[in-house]
Amino acid sequence: MRTYRVAYPLTWRAMDVLEAFVAFVWPPSFRAAVPYLFLLPALILVGLLVLGLIQIADTSMRVLDRDTFLLSDAYSLDNYRRALTEPFFATIAGRSIIGSLIVTVITLVFAFPYAYLMVRTSSSALRKFLLVALFLPFFIGQVVRAYGWLIILGNQGIVNDILGHAGIPTLRLLYNYPAVLFGLVQYMLPFAVLMLAPALTAIPEELEAAAGSLGASWLKTFRHVVLPLARPGLVGAGLVVMTLSLTDFAIPAMLGGGSQDFIANAIYDQFFRTSDQGLGATLSLLLVAVGSLLVGVVFTAFGAGTLAMGGRRK
Amino acid sequence: MSNDDKRLSTMISRRTLLHSMAAAGAATGLPMLGGTRAFAQEPQKPREIIVRAWGGSWVEALKAGVSDPFTKMTGIAVRHDLTEDNEIQPKVWAAVAQKRVPPIHINWDTTTNATKSALRGVTEDLSDLPNLKSTTELAKPVGLDGYPIVNTYGYVYVLAYRPEAFPNGAPKSWKDLLDPKLKRRIAFYNDGIGFHFPAQVAGGGKIEDIPNNMQPAWDFVTMMKQQEPLLGEDPDFTTWFQKGEIDAACTISTNAREARKNGIDIKWVVPEEGAKFDTDGLWIPKGLPANELYWAKQYINLALTKEAQQVWLDGLGLPGVVPGLTPPADLANDPSYPTKPEDFKNLIRVSSKVQVQNESDWFAKFKQIMQG
Repeated sequence: MRTYRVAYPLTWRAMDVLEAFVAFVWPPSFRAAVPYLFLLPALILVGLLVLGLIQIADTSMRVLDRDTFLLSDAYSLDNYRRALTEPFFATIAGRSIIGSLIVTVITLVFAFPYAYLMVRTSSSALRKFLLVALFLPFFIGQVVRAYGWLIILGNQGIVNDILGHAGIPTLRLLYNYPAVLFGLVQYMLPFAVLMLAPALTAIPEELEAAAGSLGASWLKTFRHVVLPLARPGLVGAGLVVMTLSLTDFAIPAMLGGGSQDFIANAIYDQFFRTSDQGLGATLSLLLVAVGSLLVGVVFTAFGAGTLAMGGRRK
Repeated sequence: MSNDDKRLSTMISRRTLLHSMAAAGAATGLPMLGGTRAFAQEPQKPREIIVRAWGGSWVEALKAGVSDPFTKMTGIAVRHDLTEDNEIQPKVWAAVAQKRVPPIHINWDTTTNATKSALRGVTEDLSDLPNLKSTTELAKPVGLDGYPIVNTYGYVYVLAYRPEAFPNGAPKSWKDLLDPKLKRRIAFYNDGIGFHFPAQVAGGGKIEDIPNNMQPAWDFVTMMKQQEPLLGEDPDFTTWFQKGEIDAACTISTNAREARKNGIDIKWVVPEEGAKFDTDGLWIPKGLPANELYWAKQYINLALTKEAQQVWLDGLGLPGVVPGLTPPADLANDPSYPTKPEDFKNLIRVSSKVQVQNESDWFAKFKQIMQG
């Protein structure tokens, strides 16, 4: 008997079956929804975060009973009253907000020339050096970097050693507000450069050359051409630096010497030191609210910058 | 809150201490696991038990004094979980609330922290540990019913100082820290723990007024703020002394001793206003399988033997809860190592229950003054 000759290889047949299955599960009429399908993992992730926020909101309205260390069954706004009226929380909120604004401004001032040089230099070696110097800090955690500053700026640190050789008595360079701001600026600088670099790359060099050929000095070109065109990058970088600084925990804890708490430090204390999860949740929500408010103000005033992606930029 | 709960003895009673030490002395000579036969037939042994502990020299001391002997005697391995005490707490609470098996068998904890867990009802009762009979009254948590925690040693928040910064002799009072030459050269815990009660006395107040009127303490803390002290956690004090950042601090004597072991010239005193005395302890979370609960109790029972305490607490340099322990050579007659009733007369002890019910307010007040 002759063997039946198969018209198609087996793998083709398998593919046919798979295609039929896919067509059954996801008919061609659904094709327009494919992009949204790819959004699903991100939506699930954001959804989980929202669920977490709902849980935190629920906890924030329950008051700790210090006789049983259980949260109340009944809802109350007492934690919010405490958070908004107790002077200590106002102090740390003010310190965190003002600190994040100062850090944002200083970081952008330092990051801009770095990013500009990195994208404009004609020297490949210099560009590589700047890139390596930019990424190196990412391999070193925030805590290790803070410890580095403890070693460098401590009473017996390198800086005081040098000052000592110059006859200057030992200075307390750590454990104060400027030390915290300094540590934050150093931590945020790479983030800002990374956010600024694409925006500066997008500015055609020919525009600067044209301005120069029309008689504009470098300063005028910078002010009237580069800076306005770099605004989306500045806004994007500023938002990232501001929100990260506002919510930072490690730098204020380590370089502040226990006397320069930010909001995140107070949240930690409530959750883990005094076991008051209700008040901790309240402070967490208020931190989210303050951060969102600041971002909203920036969006309103300057647009979303590079964070707007393909959308309309102001 | 009853008056009994509000305030326990401000200074440890000489008579009760003598009484308990005498009773405990009569009970010495128990075998290592002292009366394990009191339990019924031994339940199945787990492969390991997990003990939460502090790291560094702390866990090394526990390992040498209790964990290794326990493994040798029972064959059960002991794993030390070095999660911070205040970070393991919500995990244990959540496990008990959800009726899950807790992540640890035994928590080595501050008595204050442990009291929160006891008040919340997540701790097993340890009243049936045979070796409790041979302990002093220090083992009993004050302000709580029964033994939801067993205190295993005490410690003192001393005034530690560098002698070269005090050329006229050791400081005698907490007020000596107000000397202008010590500006920016002193340190406290960042929540003020250890300093609230002596500050109450130094500020002209009375211990009996705690917690209802602590204004004298806050007045004294406000004065101390002018000195711009550093504020930190346990490891910070050792580091700051070693790096020459500070000349004096209110800290647990263990931290000062650690710095001294590292070659720093450092001494400590209990000032005339007194110093806070507190305890650490061991407790077992609810929700363990019965056999694991049994062996966890055996571990704590072993920790209460004289042999285990001697090795464990030699490493920590702290006084235990079993009579007859020999202090380490460098701590004989040291005010931070109280052994005799008169050693306690200047130590301030406040009920853990009072502390946990008020510490949130005290911490906030201290931080407000120091950071305001």
